Amino acid sequence: MALMKRAAKALSTITLASAMFALPSHYALAELPGMIKIGMTSALTGPYNEFGEGNRRGVELAVERWNAKGGINGHKIEITLLLDDQLNPDRAVQNMRRILDNKEIVGIIGPAGSGPSLAVIDMVQADGRPYINAIPQTPTVTYPDSVTKPPRPNVFSFALQNNIEASVMAQYLTKHVKRIGVIHESTAYGVSGLDYLNEYLAKNGANTVVATDSYNQGTQDMTAQVARLAKANVEAIAAIGLGKDLAVLRRTMARMNVKVPLIASNGALGQPFQEGAGELVLGTRGTMIGAFAKRPLREATKTFADAYKAKFGVDRWWGNDPQYPQLFTAISVANAYDGANVLFEGIRRANSTDPQAIIKAIESITNFDGVNAVYSFSKSRHHALDIDGVQIFEYVKEGDKTRLQPVSN
Amino acid sequence: MEFFAQMVTSGLSVGAVYALIGLGLNLTFWTTRVLNFGQGSVLMAGAMITATMVAHGQNVYASMFASMTITGVILLLTERVGVKPLIKASGSMGWVVSTLGIGVFLQGFASIAFGTQAIAFPDVLFSSGDTVELLGAYISKQYIAVFAISTVTVCLMELFLRKSTWGYAVRAVAHDSTLAALMGIPVRNVIIFSYLASGVLAGAAGILIAQIAGTVDPGFGLHLLVLAFVGAVVGGMGSAFGSLLGGLSLGLLEKLVGGYVSPAWAEASAFILLVAVLAVRPQGLFGKREVVKV
Amino acid sequence: MNAMKRISAILTSSWTIVVLAGVLMIASNYCETGTVQMWSFVIINILLAQSINLLTGVTGQISLGHAGFFAIGAYVSATFIMSLGLPFPFAVACGTGISAVVGWLLAIPSGRVREFYLAMMSLAFGLIIYELAREWRSVTGGVMGMRGIPSSTLGSLRIADLAIGTVAYFQILLLVLLATLYMLRNFVKSHFGRAFYAVHVNEIAAGTLGISQEKTKRFSYATSAGLAGLAGGFYAHLVGYLTPESFTLMRSVEILVMSIVGGLGSLTGQVLGATLFTYLPQKLQAFADYQFMVYGLVLTFSFILLPKGLAGLLRLHTRYSKLDLLPNSTVSADAALTGHSNTSLSSPPERLSIPLLQIQNVVMEFAGLRALNGVSLNLYPGKITALVGPNGSGKSTLVNVISGIYRPTTGSIQFNGIDIAGWSSHHIATLGVVRTFQDPRNVPSFTVRENILMGAHRLYHHGALAAALNTPRARAEEALFLSRVAALMQEAGLTIHADTLISELPYGIQRLAEVARALASDPELLMLDEPAAGLSEAESTVLTRLIRLARDHGVTVMLIEHHMDFLTDLVDEAVVFDAGEEIYRGSMTGMRTNPAVMEAYLGIGENQHA
Repeated sequence: MALMKRAAKALSTITLASAMFALPSHYALAELPGMIKIGMTSALTGPYNEFGEGNRRGVELAVERWNAKGGINGHKIEITLLLDDQLNPDRAVQNMRRILDNKEIVGIIGPAGSGPSLAVIDMVQADGRPYINAIPQTPTVTYPDSVTKPPRPNVFSFALQNNIEASVMAQYLTKHVKRIGVIHESTAYGVSGLDYLNEYLAKNGANTVVATDSYNQGTQDMTAQVARLAKANVEAIAAIGLGKDLAVLRRTMARMNVKVPLIASNGALGQPFQEGAGELVLGTRGTMIGAFAKRPLREATKTFADAYKAKFGVDRWWGNDPQYPQLFTAISVANAYDGANVLFEGIRRANSTDPQAIIKAIESITNFDGVNAVYSFSKSRHHALDIDGVQIFEYVKEGDKTRLQPVSN
Repeated sequence: MEFFAQMVTSGLSVGAVYALIGLGLNLTFWTTRVLNFGQGSVLMAGAMITATMVAHGQNVYASMFASMTITGVILLLTERVGVKPLIKASGSMGWVVSTLGIGVFLQGFASIAFGTQAIAFPDVLFSSGDTVELLGAYISKQYIAVFAISTVTVCLMELFLRKSTWGYAVRAVAHDSTLAALMGIPVRNVIIFSYLASGVLAGAAGILIAQIAGTVDPGFGLHLLVLAFVGAVVGGMGSAFGSLLGGLSLGLLEKLVGGYVSPAWAEASAFILLVAVLAVRPQGLFGKREVVKV
Repeated sequence: MNAMKRISAILTSSWTIVVLAGVLMIASNYCETGTVQMWSFVIINILLAQSINLLTGVTGQISLGHAGFFAIGAYVSATFIMSLGLPFPFAVACGTGISAVVGWLLAIPSGRVREFYLAMMSLAFGLIIYELAREWRSVTGGVMGMRGIPSSTLGSLRIADLAIGTVAYFQILLLVLLATLYMLRNFVKSHFGRAFYAVHVNEIAAGTLGISQEKTKRFSYATSAGLAGLAGGFYAHLVGYLTPESFTLMRSVEILVMSIVGGLGSLTGQVLGATLFTYLPQKLQAFADYQFMVYGLVLTFSFILLPKGLAGLLRLHTRYSKLDLLPNSTVSADAALTGHSNTSLSSPPERLSIPLLQIQNVVMEFAGLRALNGVSLNLYPGKITALVGPNGSGKSTLVNVISGIYRPTTGSIQFNGIDIAGWSSHHIATLGVVRTFQDPRNVPSFTVRENILMGAHRLYHHGALAAALNTPRARAEEALFLSRVAALMQEAGLTIHADTLISELPYGIQRLAEVARALASDPELLMLDEPAAGLSEAESTVLTRLIRLARDHGVTVMLIEHHMDFLTDLVDEAVVFDAGEEIYRGSMTGMRTNPAVMEAYLGIGENQHA
């Protein structure tokens, strides 16, 4: 049965594909078509599907809510191409090619990591259709030259960019720590994070980083790195990496009796870190989008939370607290939700599928109530989140529970 | 001095686990000339099952026992499904693909059953904070425990291979299985035994490593597997003792280079060591030169 | 299964390939860009699979680090275009060349090291390249990756001011693939291919045919690395962005899997395997979360179901000779033996009295066991000498020492005045010293014809490139040797078995084929180790005829035998060994009555017995 289904699927795809050669394809229709089609490639399965699948949920939720209100100016939205790249750059390139080949697609949601995003971004820019970068923190995806230079015309980022995160971290460190030790993962995320951190620390005054180290993702033990940092007599360790590895770091620090505080990137606020570090989370601080920590939640945030709970329930993207979603939801789900919303808003304002018109419309958006923050765009500003949307949180004990508390700067 | 002591203890600890994994690899290599490319996933399975069972309230020791039994069975299945049917065509590389396939399958299964994210591994041996003061440095009890358990296991295995009847049988089959069969040794049973032992060792190694890392996720294991290969080859694929020394040397080298030079070089140094040993003494530090009669 | 054979014949015929290529060329202009781009990915994977096939399927070496060569080709090509401004074809060629050189260097220890260890080295190599790519930020961009590589996808790739888009790129790739496949096929069918395969299956025997296993492995590694580098160069300009994550251990493993599942040893199998694995991830997406499990199951069971890979399914057999070049005219077997320098029975007697081989006081010790205890011997052209004696007396050891498999502890071995003691066996073989083994050491999956053709290996002049391109000179040489082989088979009565796999034939035929192979090398010195053992009457007669044929052409023959009847009318002189020493030399009749011989070997009070 499954075989016949697949055969039928294959046959219909071939027929459709060949039919498309026959039809003249219009690149952009002046008016909105019957169905507004978007395309998405992400790590839907595989080791990174936490982000990919989370993003998919965010986009799906956004599509549903718009369609419930009648769509964009009366035209319903459809995720026509939803492809899985498993964070593999080659697959992302192949998937993106398929999406771009479909001339009816109006907007694109990009992959869940810097690797595949960088692999496809040049072809996306050449194509010109609006592209939403939901997760990859490398600013190069949006700002190819530097964050102060013009962005790629068609790319809009809803991610917690490295430089923003580093800026907030630098601000905190400058105020509270004299001798800083920095450790980062050896990927693009880690290396660029370090670069930005150094840059902002230098800008803020004396560069007080006395030791730097790196580790490979998935390493089991960081004795060498921690020992070196300890040798340099650091007063705190700043870390840029993913939750699982940060847990290993924390444990290694405990094993070696290195008692200085750990101030980490957003990975420290997710479940993998909490799982791995257990009791040791206390005292750890991390940068994070503050949206889900506000009490009470902002209206936009609450609406999203209610909608998510209604559709998906209290699952691992939601977290352990049945009342409020975990902070990390901002990074795994809400960013894609916001991205899709802004895209649809742009199409609505432009009332056309013409890429130029949509882009202009998005750039004209100011004070948009997103889940993660209030957004304003412009010709030169294509990133949604800025430092005002990001805070430092600390794990504190409350009774016999641990919770995350915002730390005032 | 403290720094040096830290490097050495963690190096020996990590190295001992490499040795344990290497021993598991050696066992299947001796009896069937097969290197299980899926062994990484078996390590993961051992750790995953223990972590999940403990999270559901089971007794820690019972969970470990259960998971090592299961990993043993996994290797038995590997032999039955992935090795035995393919060994007939000798010289065929089929077992590379099939053992790899089993590893991928296990990873996929774990992703569905346990999710793709890391889950906590319980503190079975002490906790991260338990340290003891040695030579002026704080040495983690976890490292010491892991080192002790791994080393003792490998030594016991070496003793077993040298002294016991089954041990002789394994060595006979490793040397020449046809001859062993002619001598009345139940070759099939010896093979089954070697795979079972390999699986149990892998499960144990997975638990020990997860103890140090603190979490386990479906993807854990591949990198360890590569390093364990390196350790096994450096020590010499012929003996358990070789596997122990190879693993320990590798662990020490990694940590010392990582500590005194840089972590990037630590990685590279492992592979450079491998190349050096292969170029100068291909049979490994403790292996025997293979002689072929014409 | 004639239908299967028909299908596989059609599949692998050149016409099918040309037609298919033509169709794809035309279709590429009309299909979706994404589809054509996928085809380019497929071709790159085919090149990678072929590279593994050459190394593993043919030469039998395992590489666990081929992603390293892929990476070198990619980064070199990208860097050379961007930093040095080299034109695209040159840049890719450089990537290929540098990759080949690195492969050659990596294989240097291959002479001393067994296969398994070479495999581990390749593993280390792949990982070192990965680390290098990550750390060498100034050249490779490090973990941030290398951006802005001129690529077909973005239209930024140009050859002499012509922009190369996705379609044109595919067409170029297709042509490159066709050329590569053509050359590979010719190469595999040439004496090079046979040598590669012989080294895989029977290293020692290959050595005695003049094939240096070291050189062969190095050459194979270099070619394989070059192919992977070629694929890398094209990959870089297909995607336009390189990240070290594309060149991990998993990539090496994937390449290996593609090739193995396709069917090692089969060129067509590689095409099938590569195509399957390029499209498989997309197809598996239908399984959503279960796709990893399904992929794992596919890998696990593919071998049980298809032991020889996809090629086995289609009954594709790789043949190692250019049989189509066999001329219709026949030659006589004498043609095979007339090339060599020396003498025939018609030479003046002075020539015939100079010993071809002079062994003086050779001692061979193995860790305490003295197998040869000061042996001296002269062998003359056109003379057949028998070496006789009880088992363990050192006969085979002597042959092994002469043919270079062992280095004598002391003593000299002069061949035509040159001391060859301690030379490697392949070197000695190139001088025209040929031997057979106690167990016929043929290549089981070669036909009789291919096996005998292997004998002529040392006589070939044309080089690898000529072989790959099937130049007129290469074709002429191949035809020459094919006809000689046909003649020898005729002489040995093997013609009816010519194209049967030798492993399917009875022992006697295998033995005769091995001897014919020895003759095909046009030897100066022929040493046969118990050739008559296990042969029937009729087969013995043929064997005698072959040996006499050699003798008539002035070949020096040494025979180790126990079959006295066989030796009686054939042999000019008999030498008897016992415990590593010579105890008798003289005629056969004298030997039968010599007391020392009788005590040691024939048995006292017994009549002569075979």
